Amino acid sequence: MSARTLRVVWRITKLNFRAQLEYRSEFLMMIAIGAVWQVSVIVFATVLLTRFTGMGGWDSSDVLLIPATRMLAHGLFVLFLGRVHGIGRQIQEGMIDTYLVRPMPVYRQVQLSFFPTNAIGDLTVAAGLMAGALARSDLDWTPTRITYLIVCVLGGMLLEAALFTVVACASLRFPAADYWGRWLEELLGTFGSYPLNVLPKAVGGFLTFGLPLAFVAYFPAAVLTGHDSGVPYWLAAVSPLLGAAAYLGSRLLWRWSLRHYTGVNG
Amino acid sequence: MTVTAVLRGWRAARVTPLGELHTPPRMTAALLRLTVQVVLVASLWQGLYAATGTTAGLSEDQAVTYAVLAVLAIRIRELDQYAGRDTVLQHMHFGTIVYWYLRPLPPQRYYAFRALGEQLYGLVWVIAGYAICLAAGVVDPPKSAAVAGVFAVSAFLGQWVLYYVMLAIDQLCFWTLRNGAAMLILIFAQNLLSGVYAPLWFFPDWFITLSGFLPFQATLSVPLSLYVGRIELSDAGPQLAVQAAWVVALALLTRLLWRRAARRVISQGG
Amino acid sequence: MSGSIEVRGLSRTFHTTVRRPGFGGALRSLVNPERVAKDAVSDITFDVSPGELLALLGPNGAGKSTTIKMLTGILTPTSGEARVAGVVPYEERERNARNIGAVFGQRTQLWWDLPVRESFSILRDIYDVPEAEHRVRLREFDELLDLSSFWDTRVRHLSLGQRVRSDLAAALLHDPPVVFLDEPTIGMDVVVKEQVREFLRYQVEERGRTVLLTTHDMTEVERLAERVVLINHGRLVLDGTLDEIRRKFGSTWQVRVTLSDPHAPVEPLPGIALVRREGPQAVFGPDGPTAPTMHQALKQVIERYEVTDIALDEADLEDVMRAAYVQAGGE
Repeated sequence: MSARTLRVVWRITKLNFRAQLEYRSEFLMMIAIGAVWQVSVIVFATVLLTRFTGMGGWDSSDVLLIPATRMLAHGLFVLFLGRVHGIGRQIQEGMIDTYLVRPMPVYRQVQLSFFPTNAIGDLTVAAGLMAGALARSDLDWTPTRITYLIVCVLGGMLLEAALFTVVACASLRFPAADYWGRWLEELLGTFGSYPLNVLPKAVGGFLTFGLPLAFVAYFPAAVLTGHDSGVPYWLAAVSPLLGAAAYLGSRLLWRWSLRHYTGVNG
Repeated sequence: MTVTAVLRGWRAARVTPLGELHTPPRMTAALLRLTVQVVLVASLWQGLYAATGTTAGLSEDQAVTYAVLAVLAIRIRELDQYAGRDTVLQHMHFGTIVYWYLRPLPPQRYYAFRALGEQLYGLVWVIAGYAICLAAGVVDPPKSAAVAGVFAVSAFLGQWVLYYVMLAIDQLCFWTLRNGAAMLILIFAQNLLSGVYAPLWFFPDWFITLSGFLPFQATLSVPLSLYVGRIELSDAGPQLAVQAAWVVALALLTRLLWRRAARRVISQGG
Repeated sequence: MSGSIEVRGLSRTFHTTVRRPGFGGALRSLVNPERVAKDAVSDITFDVSPGELLALLGPNGAGKSTTIKMLTGILTPTSGEARVAGVVPYEERERNARNIGAVFGQRTQLWWDLPVRESFSILRDIYDVPEAEHRVRLREFDELLDLSSFWDTRVRHLSLGQRVRSDLAAALLHDPPVVFLDEPTIGMDVVVKEQVREFLRYQVEERGRTVLLTTHDMTEVERLAERVVLINHGRLVLDGTLDEIRRKFGSTWQVRVTLSDPHAPVEPLPGIALVRREGPQAVFGPDGPTAPTMHQALKQVIERYEVTDIALDEADLEDVMRAAYVQAGGE
């Protein structure tokens, strides 16, 4: 991205944020509801993970790293790339046609379509959870470990973005694919926060190689804490790289899908 | 009710099932999703319990039964309503809410018929899913006929409360035009506080106390706890009374909201 | 059925929040919103007789939609009164609902996921239409709008023209004496437009329905409406026939004649000005507010002068309306 592009992106984002302020009651409500949501999530994650101590051979201080990584990655995804989720509505309303005639990549315009106020809440929760996880952790946080954690969070964000981008590609052709996007979100939220070795082998395998959510947080946390994750160590260790590769792949798929986009309802 | 009123109700009620029947891929998707979700949830709870005995008063079997029933239960209102473009949110967005106020059928009654149809349609799925899970031994049957009976009453009241909760969330759309994101968060709160994600018994006491003051636990947590026996039959009376109280309170609240919504539409023109 | 519409001094004021410019302004509006009042419709009075088609005209934002919303009972007026088929719409919304049908432009009232015919059935039950009557009416609408070629298709797959035709049928299924149409043909192709106009003409002439229509399509007005009401900035500017509008605002007709005697003296006639004279060629135009219509002027010119050739330039209705909007806006 050139400096000019960045400037345009920044300006549009600022305008989008202001647009969110325009809807006064909704903005205030979002903040209020955001508070409820933050408390609930932290309670949910900590309570469940501490009640089942020794889950899959992980003690509670280590296991917290999984939801913390996953939520931070998710929060960043919502902030930077989250508009691919729920794109079906924009497609149904013919917005893609509008985007196609503007001199800016369609994908970027999709991302700039509105400001995700809820990302503020997501990121606050995630940061709090990460701070808690790090405070409880007995690990020696060397610069290498910290760098690896940061890289993994970014990789997790890209992996999630890749998954939703694939769903968005399907939405270009089948508007109903939005349904799958909502399911994907549910699956990521429900199963992304546990050590997957508590699950039967077949189920764990599905969540690794079928729907690769193990690479978002479980494998990185296993590498950081030295747990065996059931796959070769090197495969777990390159999780962030896989995330980046998946994202690149999904963008290529998006480009291909956009070339084959035929519009909605004539 | 007169014959025409019944007929009207029937027409409005069958919109959702009809829409689904006209879209077989959507039904296949729902079936696949339900199956995968049940398998995943059952194996997750079995896995979690592998290293723990009874915790928070729930044994492994109770927890698995609870979790699977919860997955089945949310199917009742977990429809792709947006696909039918008949949600309040969408009508506000497309400006078609005016038609609701242009018909000799009051919007609140139309909404109730639609929801009823949706819930009955969902119920068919739930019963089929329940029968299969029971046959496969994933869920335990209720301990006695009395438990089953009380559960049925409680589940019915729970659906009634759920209807009002969903209605109240929809009614918010009359005031906040673009509350798609807020809806998602509210639905998340509903799922969390009603015990879909995890039985409320696992949460700390203050959380259980707090949710006792909210209507969400009355939708799912209470009936399912009765089913698995986490709430004894002898304690069922007060719980049912609380559910009934929520039905009355929310009925009054949503009635008021309908009236104010109508006034809002009529003062702003939709 | 008596489908008259009576509107007396109808007014509607909206209160909106002013948006202050800039980032700080947006924040300030969030904390302390500033409200202003705007008159969308003020003191409008007109009547529509049973079985009449009236076109409500005016530029965008003139208050047409607000007026229609008040007459359909969706909006309560700030002051004034309206009666539609004897019912005050905003006081007895449901009773009024049985008397009226309405289509709001491209907004569909059909059920998105269902075949069109299912939507018709739902509406039949909502409006308590007997089955036999329903079937007869559906057949009648099918003949005029050719619905059966697509009524088993789900609404989401219809083209715009098909959807609007279905919506028109849906609005008239319960046989309402009064019909409100807010830009019904917007965005449609000429063939479908003509089909819709034919349908409306039939509904007015054969079925005696009262129709109140807003449109920006002047061809439509010429083909359908005998009478128009023109509003601008929420005020009624003119209530009359198309001819009256032409006379008031259509100052652009010209009668060009070639005189048989190129040297004959030519003088202006009452209300008719001599615009140009070049040898045998003379051009007449309207003069002042008392100017006759083009056809009257033509008659007068022919009676007075011997001419060998004659040509007419009539301002088309679009030009007339442009003049009307601009003049009325400037007042």
